[in-house]
Amino acid sequence: MKRLIKLRVNDKDYELAVEPNQTLVDVLRYTLGLTGTKKGCEVGDCGSCTVIMDGKPVNSCLVLAVQANGRVIRTIEGVEADTGLHPLQVSFVDKGAVQCGFCTPGMVLSAQSLLERNPKPNEAEIRTAISGNLCRCTGYQKIVEAIHDCSEKMTR
Amino acid sequence: MSEYNVINSRAPRLDAPGKATGRAKYVDDMSLPGMLYGAILQSPLAHARILNIDTSRARSLPGVKAVVTAKEAGLVKYGVSPARYDETLYCHEKVRYVGDELAAVAAVDLETAMDALSLIQVDYEELPAVFTVEQAMAEGAPLLHDDYPRNISAEVHQEFGDVEAGFKQSDLIKTTTFVNKRQDAAFLEPHGCLAEFDLFGQLTLHTSTQVPHYVMRTVAMVLGIPVGQVRVVKPYVGGGFGPKCEATPLEMSACLLAKVTGKPVKMNYSREQVFLHSRARHQFIHTITTGVKKDGTLMALTNECHLEGGAYTSFGIATVYYSGSLLGGPYKLPNMKYDGYRVFTNRPACGAQRGHGGVAARAAWEQQLDMIAVDLGLDPVELRLRNIMSTGDVTCNVLDMSSLGMKECVEAVRDGSDWNAKRGKMTKGKGVGIACGFFVSGAGYPIYRSETFHSTVVIKLSEDGGTAQLLTGSAEIGQGSDTTMAMIAAEALGIKLSDVRVTSGDTDLAVDLGAYSSRQTLMTGHATKEAAEDVKRQVIEVLAQELSIPPVDIDFKNGLVVFKNGNVDFSKVRTSYIQEHRGWTDPPSGDLTFKEAARMAFLAKGTIVGTGKYKPGRLGGKYKGAAVGTSPAYGCSAQVVEVTVDMETGKVIIDRMTDAHDCGLAVNITSVEGQMEGSLSMGMGEALFEEVKFDGKGKILNANLGEYKIPTALDMPNVKTIIVESNEPNGPFGAKEVGEGAIMPTIPAILNAVYDATGVWIHELPLTPERVYRAIQQAKK
Amino acid sequence: MLLPKFDYHEPATLGEACQVMGDLGQKTKALAGGTDLIVNMKKKILSPACLVYLGRIKEMKKIDSSNGLFKIGAGLTAAEVAEMEEIKNNYSALSRGASCLGSPLIRNLATIAGNLVSARPAADFPPPLMAYGARVVLKSSSGERVVSLDDFFKGPGQTLIAPEEILTEIVLDKLRPFSGAGYIKLGTRQTLEISLVNVAAFVSLDGPDGVIKTARIVLGAVGPVPLRAPSGEKALIGEKPSEALLAKAGEAAAFDSKPIDDYRGSAEYRRAMVDVLTRRALNEAINAARSNLN
Repeated sequence: MKRLIKLRVNDKDYELAVEPNQTLVDVLRYTLGLTGTKKGCEVGDCGSCTVIMDGKPVNSCLVLAVQANGRVIRTIEGVEADTGLHPLQVSFVDKGAVQCGFCTPGMVLSAQSLLERNPKPNEAEIRTAISGNLCRCTGYQKIVEAIHDCSEKMTR
Repeated sequence: MSEYNVINSRAPRLDAPGKATGRAKYVDDMSLPGMLYGAILQSPLAHARILNIDTSRARSLPGVKAVVTAKEAGLVKYGVSPARYDETLYCHEKVRYVGDELAAVAAVDLETAMDALSLIQVDYEELPAVFTVEQAMAEGAPLLHDDYPRNISAEVHQEFGDVEAGFKQSDLIKTTTFVNKRQDAAFLEPHGCLAEFDLFGQLTLHTSTQVPHYVMRTVAMVLGIPVGQVRVVKPYVGGGFGPKCEATPLEMSACLLAKVTGKPVKMNYSREQVFLHSRARHQFIHTITTGVKKDGTLMALTNECHLEGGAYTSFGIATVYYSGSLLGGPYKLPNMKYDGYRVFTNRPACGAQRGHGGVAARAAWEQQLDMIAVDLGLDPVELRLRNIMSTGDVTCNVLDMSSLGMKECVEAVRDGSDWNAKRGKMTKGKGVGIACGFFVSGAGYPIYRSETFHSTVVIKLSEDGGTAQLLTGSAEIGQGSDTTMAMIAAEALGIKLSDVRVTSGDTDLAVDLGAYSSRQTLMTGHATKEAAEDVKRQVIEVLAQELSIPPVDIDFKNGLVVFKNGNVDFSKVRTSYIQEHRGWTDPPSGDLTFKEAARMAFLAKGTIVGTGKYKPGRLGGKYKGAAVGTSPAYGCSAQVVEVTVDMETGKVIIDRMTDAHDCGLAVNITSVEGQMEGSLSMGMGEALFEEVKFDGKGKILNANLGEYKIPTALDMPNVKTIIVESNEPNGPFGAKEVGEGAIMPTIPAILNAVYDATGVWIHELPLTPERVYRAIQQAKK
Repeated sequence: MLLPKFDYHEPATLGEACQVMGDLGQKTKALAGGTDLIVNMKKKILSPACLVYLGRIKEMKKIDSSNGLFKIGAGLTAAEVAEMEEIKNNYSALSRGASCLGSPLIRNLATIAGNLVSARPAADFPPPLMAYGARVVLKSSSGERVVSLDDFFKGPGQTLIAPEEILTEIVLDKLRPFSGAGYIKLGTRQTLEISLVNVAAFVSLDGPDGVIKTARIVLGAVGPVPLRAPSGEKALIGEKPSEALLAKAGEAAAFDSKPIDDYRGSAEYRRAMVDVLTRRALNEAINAARSNLN
């Protein structure tokens, strides 16, 4: 039986009727059309579906939509500012941190969450923060550089 | 300063903003009105005769719109290479691996489609199965395909020079056997597709592929429709690395179901199905013997290789050739003999993966070279330098090194890694290793035998003259080809990068064989350059006429017209441009612009369209299989890896990697580095972690990214990348490959570093803690 | 991957949760972080008719330090446990264990309760908790019982929790001066790993340079449940820490382990690693004990 839930996604309120067996990632992608959140493994191994829920990055493939009821969600679509790219996105573009791009939304969100907690992370902290987000293209080097670059820009 | 205005720079990638904001569309992000969802039924058994397939219960499930089996699909044989078409869309007489496709359904939603699959009743008679090369080749072993005795799907026997004589002249002869493991490409985006027939029977397939062109041809053949009625469009693709280099049963099923139902059909592989479909790196068992003189001069090499190939041929014929031919360089080797056997087993079919066919061979040989260096008391760098090939050398199997900065790469990593201070001089448990490698810059011949152009490109100018629209069939799969082509076009045309707009990956736009064998920068790049030059010539012609000066006096640079013989009065052109654009906010001033010239050209000739095309000339030798390994150019690289080995647990940590790669000319420096770093990461995963594991019944035990372990951000060290530019004569602006050559030295450099750290040679991958621990314990005995 | 259909309840209080669990009975599963349960349901290994989500219950997210005890709400996530200053300072091996679990994304969902009740032999919470002598509180509508974690695990995926019970709290003793623990995990990668072997060790000394009074060694992934290593522990009692002593304890612990061959590793290797990791975990424990002046 469907249940009514309330989600606040990227500063917008939604009321939705969902089945208990629907995952948050599926509701974001297929009900709300927020397809920036990717599905790479569906069992919490890859981090492509990372969203920020109540301030913390989580695998949205492991969260039931009903579990997210009343919570505040940020997806990649909520990172871009009205004025254009978020500084972190600018760093990802400038430093060449994007290749196939499938891990990128999750990477950006994990990185953003890190910088919110720790504006000047060292390399080990950066690598740890993105260690649940697999990337097969870049070898992570330029992703780490991009996060570092953004941290420098924002704390200067 | 670079002599170029656009290329050889760190221009940000065109697709990066879209990808960083989540706006970029991948195939599962698309939907169409009335779309159905498809799903595939796969065999739970490794080898069995199909007695009966009963789809009646599935068909009567409400919401099911179609169920198709071999009966509906027919038995058209297909595969990667026409030389060996051995697959049908769905199995008919028997299944040959756990995951072999039997049927597909389309339904109103995925849940119904999955339910329908569970209602299809298949009766099997289980057959004995073979899972290893040994089992498969044994006398009396059950055969997967009746026509292939001893389950040998392909074999190669080649000899160049006189190996026996070479060994006779050798002072030291070394033999080792080396084994890697089956890999998975583990791209982040599982395959997906969306097929739709329009009301005129024209098919459009959106799919996550590396090769829209080959998919178009295969789909047309299997569905029995003309190639011209099939359009394959590749949206953004979440990585490929080889296995997305063929038409999949997923794609063909979606097309067939769309045809049967008249509705668009979307299909995805789950992560588990990606593993089941595989088509990734083979397992190679190499036995290699090398003969050298006392001074380290290479005299002869014999290489015997058995490939565990899985149930179908896929890319296998090319693979088995590559694992021989790619040892021809980058060292001067006068005599080489190769015997390769690709063997069918009741496992998912293997295919191509980054460094196709050459990675294990390279690892085996580069490790053996280090063993030889130790025996001869030579520094491994020195041994390599004594045998190194350089520009103009031709290998004994007739691969022409038209440019080769191999020596420069070795010296760069030696110096860049502080090799001389480290090798053999670090504390127990720490070590450094070096290795080299090279790879093709585009396969010399298409997969099917043809005189086709490998790439054609169209560049159109917008009617205002301000934008060059680049149309190509090439496949941006994350490597950055769209940006590379835009940069080449902008450079050749003399305009700004921001004035080029790329549309790619669509078979309706132009012909392109796709993203494999590291071919696009060189081949699509050539066609792009030619198309841009065609456009440029047309615009110059018109402008020259308008200004009554010779065309040779005109050039374009950064979007401006350059008059080579001093000032020219162009007020007539400017006035007419401004008159035509009253009310526009951007009246040109100062130097005459390309845009104004291009508008003149439009007024004179209509839409300006330039075309370019590329195919290599005749390449390679005349012997059987000489085509495989040929290329218009070869990239090469050297690496030094520094490791720490926990001597008690056997765990290997990679501390540092230094990589030098000769890419001819770096069109986009950042992208070249990105390919190097990514290659190292994939090589590191294969060296330390990756192995697809099976139970005794042919079922994969670790078909997920939790237990199939690719490197995380904490496993990868900092990588120092050094670009070497040898200016390839056959490349556009001197450019050649980087995407695959860079993986070649990674595994052996790690193996050699682990030896330096532990004093132990390990000839089997991956170097898990347990394997390293055992080797250390063994050596203590 | 689709989840099977199920009914869903979301109690707001512990009392309500116990009530629901009691009413629904056998075919119900408690859903905590979901990082194991949801995966198993997607893979169709489990298909409970009903899920009772515990994540809204505030009582399960508290810590309480009184009466010589330290109580940790079982609903806390691994990330919360790893970052809690009180745990970092006093129960460093637990903090370590929590920070080794899965990945940062998993740690933001996975709870202690879930990690204990799913009872994977290689799990990261059981060894350090057992080393600290943890008890778990199991509540149901008919009351509560407190069980030593040593007795809690019955086999892979099996514990003595009853279908209607909820694991609500972990109870630890306050650490005495000169006692401390260590935790070492060995995996193939640096993160996102199922342990090949994991070992936690606890010692309490009778003074900064004194002999070992009590010792607990807990071995993970080398038996159907996390194991205590009795002969390893016995070897330590009454002895002064030394390299030779640790080597002896390591060997004894290896003898105590009951590893099997599986596709992740061989029994022989795992046994050898118990030896190595026990020594290292003991070393950490002794250092922690010496610096714990409380």
